[in-house]
Amino acid sequence: MKLFAVAALVLAAALIPVVAGEFWTTLLTQIMIFGLLALSADLLLAHAGLFSLCHASFFAVAAYTTAILQVRYGFGTAFAASAGVIAGTLLAMVFAFAVRTRGVYFILITLAFGYIIWGVAYRWASFTGGDNGVTSVPFPIIGPLQITNTTQYYYLVFGLVLLAAAVYNAVAGSPFGLTLRGIKSSEPRLRSLGYNVSLHLYAAFVVSGVFASVAGVLYVYHNRFINPVAASFPVSVEAILMAIVGGSGTILGPFIGSGLILILRNWVSGFFHYYNAVLGIVFIVTVLWAPLGIMGLIARWRKRGRGAGP
Amino acid sequence: MTAPAIEIDRLSKHFGGLRAVDDVSLSIAPGERRVLIGPNGAGKTTLFNCIAGTHRPTGGRVVLFGKDISALPENRRMAFGMSRTFQISNVCTDLTVDENLILAALGNDRRKWIMYRPISALRRLRDLIGAGLARVGLDHRRGETVKVLSYGERRQLEIAMALISSPRVLLLDEPCAGLSPSERQKLSRLVSELPREITVVMIEHDIDIALALADRVTVLHRGRIILDGTPSQVQNDEQVREVYFGRV
Repeated sequence: MKLFAVAALVLAAALIPVVAGEFWTTLLTQIMIFGLLALSADLLLAHAGLFSLCHASFFAVAAYTTAILQVRYGFGTAFAASAGVIAGTLLAMVFAFAVRTRGVYFILITLAFGYIIWGVAYRWASFTGGDNGVTSVPFPIIGPLQITNTTQYYYLVFGLVLLAAAVYNAVAGSPFGLTLRGIKSSEPRLRSLGYNVSLHLYAAFVVSGVFASVAGVLYVYHNRFINPVAASFPVSVEAILMAIVGGSGTILGPFIGSGLILILRNWVSGFFHYYNAVLGIVFIVTVLWAPLGIMGLIARWRKRGRGAGP
Repeated sequence: MTAPAIEIDRLSKHFGGLRAVDDVSLSIAPGERRVLIGPNGAGKTTLFNCIAGTHRPTGGRVVLFGKDISALPENRRMAFGMSRTFQISNVCTDLTVDENLILAALGNDRRKWIMYRPISALRRLRDLIGAGLARVGLDHRRGETVKVLSYGERRQLEIAMALISSPRVLLLDEPCAGLSPSERQKLSRLVSELPREITVVMIEHDIDIALALADRVTVLHRGRIILDGTPSQVQNDEQVREVYFGRV
């Protein structure tokens, strides 16, 4: 049943560019990329119970690194993209020291970290291009694989995001994933059982940073330019909100949340000026009546359906 | 002569001006059942937390089988065969019974770091957990979330978790607190049936259970040891009666 659902989803996604046209293909690419960013933040939120507000940093540093190497220094996609993921991961290895704190302090310190990266991207104009950022990033070319249009790029992103989701699924279901949920549930208990709690959280933070960095690299080839907005506070917050609205702790949830928010912004905004207010209402409704998000609603609805059956 | 299982040497723990544990020394032989008793605030749990590493003592040493573990952090002490339960039931309530036991079993196992394989791929873990649950009589609760377990069942689970790593020293902090009389009986039978390879140190308020299980009893009062003796010595001691039951 679950396999069938995944197969149906894959088929539907594969057909989108054929039936829906370029606007929706581009929007879906963006949804998948931000869904991956939301998923990366949710690794910490759902499993380890850590509310990070600096995931835009890894996303943006990976994107900037790739863009600068490719555009300014003429490196190929393979090198620039790998360097982007590595740069984002290295930053995550530094910011991961935030796991020395918990609760509100963790939120505040990651918030501060996020502002540092945004400030650097904005002010270090000679290197980052300041306000203008780095423009005219080409389509990726890796050996014989040449992307020449948005439809092809959609398929590339789809494949890579699917792969990333599979890796995420493996991590969540592994002994390591369980230790994180144990720490979230009772940290003193895990410590007395012999777990070095901080080291596990540190590792989780870095793994989460890898996913965010991959999303950043995918973003820069999608957007074709990068500016400090990608490193800004709203991007970090939205990543978390996407996960919560869609369903924290699930794999599909963050992508559904990403879809809802980006469709509201990119499509509804075309004919309804107060779309931001709609977004706010969506968040309030979620927190009040569907704390488990859309996936939680679906699970509840399916349970009820099964209960009523024979 | 073999080294004692636990040797506590002039241990103190001060919280500000309060001397919760004040210059306590005691020695527990391998295989012994030692019960710590004393009125509320006597320093029993603080002493426990110093042994387990939850608290850093203000002074003194904790020696486990001849090895000074005073400087080790809490999580490293489990590697030397120490295992504990908490005064207030402390299990991961969001997880299932199985998952709690898996976490307990992997505490000293490097496989806890595996990120790419599912838990079900770990060899021999399933049987180990089945046996661990059967020992405390919880096998029918496999796969249930701890949230739906009764308080007594959580206690049983905690003991199963403490035993699954095959500890040499088991620290039980009031295992019978909050249990019904029949549950208490079940639990004290469980403790009395533990193999003698395991040294058991237990805090217990239920005097009948304490005296029935103990080889030796240590009585604490205001952070100091006032008596260290056999159950019958403790029962007949005038000073113990005074601090424990009040002046008659």
